[in-house]
Amino acid sequence: MSQKVLLIDLDSCIRCHACEIACRQEHGLTYETKSRWCRVITVGPRSIQQELHMDFIPTICFQCDDPICAYFCPVDAISKREDGMVVIDEKVCTGCKLCVYGCPYGSIFFDETKGITGKCNLCMSRIHHGIEPTCVQHCIGGALQYVSQEELKDITSGEHLLRMGLVYYVSSKWKLRNEKVNKLEDREV
Amino acid sequence: MVAEGVSCQRCGEAFISLQNHQKILKIAKDKDLDPYQVYFALCQNCRAQFFAEQMIGNSLKRVERVRYSAKRRQEELHPIKKDTRLGTTVYKTECFICNQGCDALVHLKDGVVVRVEGDTSSEVTKGTLCAKGLASKEILYHRERLLYPMKRLGERGEGKWQRITWDEAFDTIVDRLRSIEAGYGSESIVLATGTNRGWVRYFTRFANAYGKQWIGPGIAQCFYPRTSGQMLVLGTNAMENPDYDTTRCMIIWGCNPTNTWPVKGLGMMEAWRRGSRMIVVDPLFSEAASKADMWLQLRPGTDAALALGMLHIIINEGLYDKEFIEKWCFGFKEFKQRVQQFTPEKVEEVTWVPENKVREAARIYATTKPASITQCLSIDQNADTISTSRSIAMLAAITGNIDVPGGNLITMLTRMSPVSDETGRKWLSKEHHEKRLGRAQYPLLAGEACMMGPSAHNHTVWKTMLTGRPYPVKAVYCHGSNMLRTYANTKMVTDALRKLDFFVVADLFPTETVAMADIVLPAASWMERSAVTRNEQTSINHLHLQQKVIELGECRSDLSILNELARRLGFADRMFPSEEAYFDFLLQPSGLTFEELKRRGVVSIPHVFRKYESEGFHTPSRKVQLYDERLISHGYDPLPTYREPDESPIKSTELVKEYPLVITTGGRTPVFRHTELRNVPILREIVPELEASINPKTARALGIDDGDTVIVESPRGSMEAKARVTEGIDPRVIQVPSHWPGINNVNLLMDNEKCAPLIGSAQLRCQLCRVSKKG
Repeated sequence: MSQKVLLIDLDSCIRCHACEIACRQEHGLTYETKSRWCRVITVGPRSIQQELHMDFIPTICFQCDDPICAYFCPVDAISKREDGMVVIDEKVCTGCKLCVYGCPYGSIFFDETKGITGKCNLCMSRIHHGIEPTCVQHCIGGALQYVSQEELKDITSGEHLLRMGLVYYVSSKWKLRNEKVNKLEDREV
Repeated sequence: MVAEGVSCQRCGEAFISLQNHQKILKIAKDKDLDPYQVYFALCQNCRAQFFAEQMIGNSLKRVERVRYSAKRRQEELHPIKKDTRLGTTVYKTECFICNQGCDALVHLKDGVVVRVEGDTSSEVTKGTLCAKGLASKEILYHRERLLYPMKRLGERGEGKWQRITWDEAFDTIVDRLRSIEAGYGSESIVLATGTNRGWVRYFTRFANAYGKQWIGPGIAQCFYPRTSGQMLVLGTNAMENPDYDTTRCMIIWGCNPTNTWPVKGLGMMEAWRRGSRMIVVDPLFSEAASKADMWLQLRPGTDAALALGMLHIIINEGLYDKEFIEKWCFGFKEFKQRVQQFTPEKVEEVTWVPENKVREAARIYATTKPASITQCLSIDQNADTISTSRSIAMLAAITGNIDVPGGNLITMLTRMSPVSDETGRKWLSKEHHEKRLGRAQYPLLAGEACMMGPSAHNHTVWKTMLTGRPYPVKAVYCHGSNMLRTYANTKMVTDALRKLDFFVVADLFPTETVAMADIVLPAASWMERSAVTRNEQTSINHLHLQQKVIELGECRSDLSILNELARRLGFADRMFPSEEAYFDFLLQPSGLTFEELKRRGVVSIPHVFRKYESEGFHTPSRKVQLYDERLISHGYDPLPTYREPDESPIKSTELVKEYPLVITTGGRTPVFRHTELRNVPILREIVPELEASINPKTARALGIDDGDTVIVESPRGSMEAKARVTEGIDPRVIQVPSHWPGINNVNLLMDNEKCAPLIGSAQLRCQLCRVSKKG
């Protein structure tokens, strides 16, 4: 079975924060947990070549190919599954927070109420029941889409893409060196 | 965060203990993770921000979009069903966290609401729900909710209460209202309501049946002006209903749909992704403006000049729909003459929008077919709101974009629901009409010529409370309004309310207005009440089911409170015996009963385009009224015009020396709704503080840095805000969101004396102020 991926169309994100609140509700992340597994980050407004730009970047755990967080876990609670998901074993986690500091993207959170860490699992339970992740369902701008690899090709024609594990960012604003799938380092800065 | 340890290199906050930091660095070194070292110097929030900045980068260029979306999930409609995954019973209902009425599903487990989510069977919302709606559970079970009727013990505003029974509450209200009416006359009692929550028309019916005047914050300065203006021109509301399905050009006028009306934002973004052009008119670089092909950054309050300027170009360049004008427009000759005044040069001078941009926008809008306009609140809050909304409606009319696919649609709801009979205007006596406050000055609001209502004028009501002239106002009965935050000139409103003999408020939370009340009634939130919802702003050809799923404390729906009160006051015959009977009445034209709607969940009829071809426009000439003789009888210009704001850098040459900046208030966030929801922590976390947008140039001149606390002053008073230094605003303008509590309440600054003619809107979007750094 081909693993579905999360496509984040940065052009279409309109910072409505529906994904954030939907996520908190789905995973029972009350305010006290201080866990914002899904966040929309604003960059700008900033002036680039006399034109104002304001961009909104939804961030979640990307389910990295080579999860950095796993290197830091002293008890090996974090593992990469065969289907590509990076999971934290709640029973093994001791709550030392090293992965929280170690994730380069700030996507792992320490749950103050449970005393362990947690992160986005792409709504595993919903996917199991054949429903897309809650952030995707509620996305008002239509920026978040849960698609198969084939659909991904159809939707984006493979251009202006940035792959982060199971998450693909796409933005028509990027001038990319390599027209196909890119890594962060490959982009013109 | 740890008190001692390594500090974040961006925000400076200590975020990791030295011991842990060394551990991290050691592992990074051992595993050869060097490229990521830069991240380890940042705290969690700054790291995410840094990553986002890196990723989007700075070499941006807008290129042609080719975007397709995956199909949204669609399920079959079940008004009540079981969810096997969560083990819950799911009720289809309508989210009423704002005034929209979006399809929502409420999950109930063991008598407790465990989840609120979008309804994937909905044709309108397509499974989405906004952040506010998704947080509804937090409001429902909020620990501060009012759950029982109470009476005040201490002084007004002191916050000492005693729980009473509903019986005692009703008895007290009836006794006091009767004795005040006997002592001071019928007009001494004023009813007040807040934003539309599905029961506002019923509240109006209650007021008319009782024969009392009523006010609402959303009357003179929201919805009524823009709707009345359109009704003068088109005989109906169309400018609120753009057809996003097939539109190829959108003007988003003074509106940020994804923040204010997420369901409209959904349509807007779908059209945008399809490649529709987008022109945004807004003084602030909003979310919508960031996506726009063209952003018209106008001086706040000059919308009418911009619209008339665009009309000038469209007419003089012959870009209008000649056939439509010949057949369906009245007064084109006079109108053509009028727009000659609004040359692009003059428009640039008045609106600060560059001449070439006005030309380009007008040409794009007029030549792209079909084109639509989405307008909202900001055009209701300037110096001449009727002219503004009339000119914008005319823009759509003369380009032939009314009720055509992809244009602005005329609602079908009037065919599905008895809107006109519902409010019981026929019961108002001649004497009542004559005594209504603001009648002479604001005929389209409080006079018999009004398009909607009639309603009393809020500012005139405060003045009457304070002076006792022309007659005393001694009691206010209010449902769902936090008057001390929503009305302009908070100090005046506070003083007026303090002078009352008797004040009743029905609300969900102990707001500052509730603190002033004598009797407080606990109202039901949207999950605790039923309704038939019909809202043009959501959908113009659907009626939806809202079903009660839970009961909390002794909270009662507004409908049932009004019914009971009407019974005790002796006019039950004018109201409906039960909520269901009222819903049946609303459903009559569609031939259903409420019981049947409960099984179906939704009623809809297909849209009929170009309805005017068979029935004409509902105006005296049966055509689009570019010239309106009715306005002459009110002593007003029959053609739309531009009126300079009463406080403006052009008009107020003296005042501007002391108060040099234009202040525009309002501007919504996606997580709050007017005065509401700031008490929900997960939402407040997203927008923790009030931020005033200031241009870097202005900020530098005033010695203000991003994040500083600033004091904003006007001749009425002063307030505080956090400075958000942004290039998204003109250096001569400051933007301050409204509805924040206490010292952050921008309505402390706002003038309410100088109101727009005909309808009495306060000029909340265009006044003058000065800004300084605090301390």
